[in-house]
Amino acid sequence: MPTVSRKIERLINLTIALLATKRYLTKSEIFKSVDGYEGSAETKERMFERDKDDLRNLGVVIEVGSFDPVFEDEAGYRIKPERYSLDLGEITGVQIALLSLAAQAWRGAALDDAAHSALTKLRSIGVESDLDAVPAITPRLNAAHSDFVVITTAISKRQRISFTYLSSSLERQSRIIEPFAIATKNSHWYVAGNDTEKSQVRTFRLDRIEGEITSMTVLGGYEIPEGFDVFESLSNLQSATVATIDIRKGKAQLLRNTALSIVDKGEWDQITVEYFDSQTLIDLVLWHGEDALVKAPIELCKDVITKLHEIVLLHA
Amino acid sequence: MPKAAQTPLGRTARLLDLVPYLASHQGIELLSLAKEFDVSQSQMVADLTTLWMCGLPGYTPLELMDLSFESGFVTIHNAETLAHPRTLSDEESIALLLGLDLVIESLPSDRQDLKAIALDLVARLSARSSVPAKLSAIPVIPGSVRATIQSALRTKSSLEIVYHSSYSDIVSTRVVTPIELRDDNGFEYLWAACQSARAFRSFRLDRMQSAINKTSTAATGISTTTDENFEIDYTLRIHSRPREAMERFRFESSDLEADVEISSFSDEWIRRSVLASSGSVEIVQPQAIRTAIGKAARLILDRYEAN
Repeated sequence: MPTVSRKIERLINLTIALLATKRYLTKSEIFKSVDGYEGSAETKERMFERDKDDLRNLGVVIEVGSFDPVFEDEAGYRIKPERYSLDLGEITGVQIALLSLAAQAWRGAALDDAAHSALTKLRSIGVESDLDAVPAITPRLNAAHSDFVVITTAISKRQRISFTYLSSSLERQSRIIEPFAIATKNSHWYVAGNDTEKSQVRTFRLDRIEGEITSMTVLGGYEIPEGFDVFESLSNLQSATVATIDIRKGKAQLLRNTALSIVDKGEWDQITVEYFDSQTLIDLVLWHGEDALVKAPIELCKDVITKLHEIVLLHA
Repeated sequence: MPKAAQTPLGRTARLLDLVPYLASHQGIELLSLAKEFDVSQSQMVADLTTLWMCGLPGYTPLELMDLSFESGFVTIHNAETLAHPRTLSDEESIALLLGLDLVIESLPSDRQDLKAIALDLVARLSARSSVPAKLSAIPVIPGSVRATIQSALRTKSSLEIVYHSSYSDIVSTRVVTPIELRDDNGFEYLWAACQSARAFRSFRLDRMQSAINKTSTAATGISTTTDENFEIDYTLRIHSRPREAMERFRFESSDLEADVEISSFSDEWIRRSVLASSGSVEIVQPQAIRTAIGKAARLILDRYEAN
């Protein structure tokens, strides 16, 4: 496809010319000097407009200015090398090794391609990765929603996203949010943001989103609160309470793993755990059947007993 | 399998990134170069040929980039203008930031030095992009467990794992010969020959408390039939909290119109799951499990009332 190659050549040549120049180049200078601009004045003009858009889509920042700000000269164009190039400051082999681990965590998952191209750019800095300096860990991010990239793009471009969310009563609700952050915990991915209808920060689990996620540009964008943290915003919703639970020795591992304290009581251990949502804790206690008994607080005990009566009644 | 973008824009991006990569890897083999950029060798030759036609205005040999690759090894000269790698896109920054967060959480606690370096990288990356720094990734599986499994898979050696079985609520030590890692519903499993049970079993990685490499040879005489291999069909009635039920028992929301018919490999799992639903679901069939659940709940109640 010679025409395709010509187009690519022209884009590369334009990038080189705009990067190499120390001053703004006018359109006529570009048409005269950069290889590949042919045809009528109108054709060249159209070509150039498309090329500028294409380069901007590749993330190349083209600055528009003029030679002399006093006179309204013809606009000129250039690419500032400091905005074109990757600049992370001094980089060591250990840092490259850590960044490689970070990129490899995406193997086979949503941002695999972006992580790979990022890694290629980092390797192009010319610093050897010092793999011996980091422990042999291979953390991995699991697969997420197929529209994962729509969310990450929306966060970086400050776009709203809309989707259908499965509520706890299985209603399909339409939600529009201004996404702040995306995070993963316990194999689930979460997106948090300002729910435009409720004007409140809400968190959504990605596997409860049905169908497509679409993004839309809002005029003026929106602000992401500084240092926003998905999991902090989750735990801030409710304050934690401490429960005391007796668990049988060698049993109830899932509860034991979260214990704040463990006291040996012979056949049983008495543990304390922190909880935000009593229903979640009751579910977990009942999973362990006869091996876990709630001792305090008394309201929690009563709730467990009520739930047990319901189970007995249902299965009578 | 090469899969890199073949759109004109995708190719332009690749060519722009090829130049700095070549400048820092002079004399690289054509084959490794194609691999790094995830394209076929002939595509890479086409890319290099296109690059060859590019340079500074004037476009005489003095201004054009000077590439040589006929020998199978690639060198580039006269390419200073493009020799610095391009800045990271937002998507690339997000990938690295989330990945770094996971690395930070996975580092052993005695490596505070590396944690500090990684945190500094997070600060540098977010200062240079429009992406908020607080992207959290909390690992499900300790990094050391996975590293041990992967090395056992490579060397075909056995592992001693401490495994928590959630159905029977027992922590046991088993010797297993890993076969492969599998993904299911967002969870990772190790499919392995379990020498303790003399059968093939799958183990969820997040339930492994530790894994140690054993250098013994692979087990023999393991049968592929296990006692867990028959399915139990059961009927569930949802009374409240339908989304929790759907996620716990793994059925589609379209099944919700009437009673849900599902199957499981373990009656222990069914019993625990129904108890843990706190009265929001009811087992309709089979009668034996239904009765067992009623009895189990009664027994726990007796314990509370005895106190």
